[in-house]
Amino acid sequence: MRFPPFVRSPYAGFLLFSGMLAVLPLLLTNDYYLNVLIFIGIHAIIAIGLDLLLGYTGQISLGHAAFFGLGAYITGVLSAKASWPPIAGLVVALVGVGILAYVIGIPTLKLHGHYLAMATLGFGIIVQIFFKELDFLTGGPSGLVGIEDMVIFGYEFDSDLKYYYLVCVSLALTLLLSINVVQSRVGRALRAIHGSEVASSVLGVNVSRYKVGIFVLSAVYAAFAGWLYSHYMTFVSPSSFDFMFSIKLVTMVVIGSLGSIWGAIFGAALLTSLPEFLYVFEKYETTVFGLILITVMIFMPKGLLRGVEDAVLAGVRVVRGKGDDK
Amino acid sequence: MTLSQQILQYLITGVTVGTIYALIGMGFNIIYNSTEIINFAQGEFVMLGGLLTVSSMRILHLPLPFAALVAVIGVALIGTLLNVAAIRPVKDPNPITLIIITIGASIFIRGVASLIWGKDPYPIPAFSGEDPIQFFGAVIQPQSLWVMGVALSIVLGFRQFFGKTITGKAMIASAFQPRAARLVGIDTRFMVLISFALSGLVGAVAGIVIAPMSMTQYDIGVMIGLKGFCAAIIGGLGHFWGVVIGGITLGILESLGAGLISSGYKDAIAFGILLLMLFFRPQGILGKTKGDRV
Amino acid sequence: MNSPLLMNTRNLSRDFGGVRALRDLDLDVRQGLIQAVIGPNGAGKTTLFNVISGVIVPTGGSVFFRGEEITGLPTHKIAQKGLTRTFQNLQLFADMTVLENVMVGMHCMSKGGFFASAFKAPWVIAEERRVRDESMEWLRFVGMEDHSATVAGSLPFGSQRILEMARGLASNPELLMLDEPAAGLNSRETGDLARLIIRIKESGVSVLLVEHDMELVMSISDHVTVIDQGHKIAEGDPETVRSDEKVLKAYLGEE
Repeated sequence: MRFPPFVRSPYAGFLLFSGMLAVLPLLLTNDYYLNVLIFIGIHAIIAIGLDLLLGYTGQISLGHAAFFGLGAYITGVLSAKASWPPIAGLVVALVGVGILAYVIGIPTLKLHGHYLAMATLGFGIIVQIFFKELDFLTGGPSGLVGIEDMVIFGYEFDSDLKYYYLVCVSLALTLLLSINVVQSRVGRALRAIHGSEVASSVLGVNVSRYKVGIFVLSAVYAAFAGWLYSHYMTFVSPSSFDFMFSIKLVTMVVIGSLGSIWGAIFGAALLTSLPEFLYVFEKYETTVFGLILITVMIFMPKGLLRGVEDAVLAGVRVVRGKGDDK
Repeated sequence: MTLSQQILQYLITGVTVGTIYALIGMGFNIIYNSTEIINFAQGEFVMLGGLLTVSSMRILHLPLPFAALVAVIGVALIGTLLNVAAIRPVKDPNPITLIIITIGASIFIRGVASLIWGKDPYPIPAFSGEDPIQFFGAVIQPQSLWVMGVALSIVLGFRQFFGKTITGKAMIASAFQPRAARLVGIDTRFMVLISFALSGLVGAVAGIVIAPMSMTQYDIGVMIGLKGFCAAIIGGLGHFWGVVIGGITLGILESLGAGLISSGYKDAIAFGILLLMLFFRPQGILGKTKGDRV
Repeated sequence: MNSPLLMNTRNLSRDFGGVRALRDLDLDVRQGLIQAVIGPNGAGKTTLFNVISGVIVPTGGSVFFRGEEITGLPTHKIAQKGLTRTFQNLQLFADMTVLENVMVGMHCMSKGGFFASAFKAPWVIAEERRVRDESMEWLRFVGMEDHSATVAGSLPFGSQRILEMARGLASNPELLMLDEPAAGLNSRETGDLARLIIRIKESGVSVLLVEHDMELVMSISDHVTVIDQGHKIAEGDPETVRSDEKVLKAYLGEE
């Protein structure tokens, strides 16, 4: 932890970050940017959850888009087909996805490495096929229309600015809960599992329970983000939740830096905004993604944030002429 | 068509597609056996095999067999390049890092392919005409026979290679006993390089023989590559004959499921089988249980 | 030798393919002692530890802890009953600090779960403070309190071994099993280690030790069991074992 002192305490960082989110819209000149920020916030919520699983606990998921999609579709279907209010949709989405993740997680998280990657990937693809095929519910490949706008206890989020603040509060809440978890006995157990499963278990850590637990938590985060997405777009379609999106989520976490919540937010911001701001980028988007993944993993396996930090510190050391300390 | 004729037709389709899965799975196995890496870019080799053949025919005006040869060699070279550029420089080769790198490579290759070839599908002419052969009321495309014949030759060829040649044996040795292999003077790095080349080769062949039946396109690699991996898992990862059984089983179940239940769920059936295998028999049909150790 | 039985195995066996790593092994571990298991390379010592701690399941026989059968229980359940171990090939949480490693050791001594932690229940905050303080105590016990904020992976090798012991002690075990604790240590470090193991015994924790360093074993052990090819060939106090003919044969490799 070699961050500047003011972010050394995660709670100080949290306050600073929240303040920044609150004033950010005042600095924007264009409403379009607000739209991008909303997407960044939604993606950041998923990325934080995935980072708890991948970065902290060392368990990969190549199917997280499915949980995001399930959250979006559950509330979307309830809203469009049964006119349920968003809050009810949220409860059903979180509970439903939580239960599903628990049931899937028990056999899945017994697997390691490639097998785990493949199982989560297979799960993601199957879920996406159901989005496409259950057209009486989901509207099929062309998507589900008619999802109601976000209304919470009678308050309507009818402008981008209002929605932005809803996403901010959601992100801040997710962030705070995650910081708490990471800083606790649970967070230590998760990192211990990452370090050595066998050593964790001889110290009494129930490895499979914690793995499934964090899998469920990260799936629930993704479903929560899906809920925000669904009522913002008022339209969802299967292609938003495909294998590529799962990969994009992993990329966010990896780029930010594995095992850093701030890194996950940074990664989400970078990967969401890059294609939006660089129109020329679109054609090369996947190519550049691939290149980023490879280079970051080879040269900065700890992520861009820490990689740059290390490089700067190394530079400073060289300049000061004491490159030999360490 | 009677139901039994229909089922026969599904079986024929299933075996043909399954053979392709088996070939692709074999590509996974070759790299896995020499490095314990799962190369998620395997499917891109398949795509490149088809598209390079198309370009060799159109731009170099080569006849199909030579175009195919150029493509196979080209993809084998791309395989070695992947090894040298993306795998070798990794300092801490843990599975997650390698999974992410090979996924990155796969996305990168696909992206480049879409820039070169665009997003349209390309045909490759069938190797020997398109007059279907009648077979107990079902039909067999001549290309199906090509697929099976080529796959069989490849399997037998590899059997000879790994069983009889010095290089093949050295590759197996460096996979199972890397340190011992180095001690007896085997260049393990070179063996890994060869495995990437061979894997590219077999992937390209699969891509070329299947192209006349399904066209070829910049993004066909994703799904077909994953299916090949399913075949490898179902048969038992790294198991030589397992992948053949796994591929054909997968092809048949998928084809029957698509025909009798619903074609929309075809891929769901494949991945459903994969999940069941992973949950209940992760070592695959032919794999042995590993001794549980620390 | 009349202290009560703490842990024992009966007819414990383990095969790997055709190889019998353990054959009908009976081992009695008594309370309040330092006991050692020695034997030539490949005698089955590490397998014995793995089977007792639940890391691998035996193919036959039973393990009892305080009279209760624990054979085949999941590792974490066995740990919760008061039996923990270290590893010959260190298994530290390399990216975590020294203090955090020991705090993980106190996992069973605390109970904050996902929900309570996420919402920072007041009792969780208090518990966290207690865990931190007691972990510091353990670091003081092994003399590593000055390195509490160091990342474990960057410690010198000898300190990593000690840290693994501190982490095990923090789980408040009744039996601490040390898998070759002196491997890779120089003679000064081995001396420190010997004193530490004796202090662990004096603090009331029984120690079972697998070790190659005969000098260390003979100087600190109260009781020594010798195994060869998965089988017990001799046991007794260090003096008895040292002069046992079968033991000499096993070590010199005579037939």
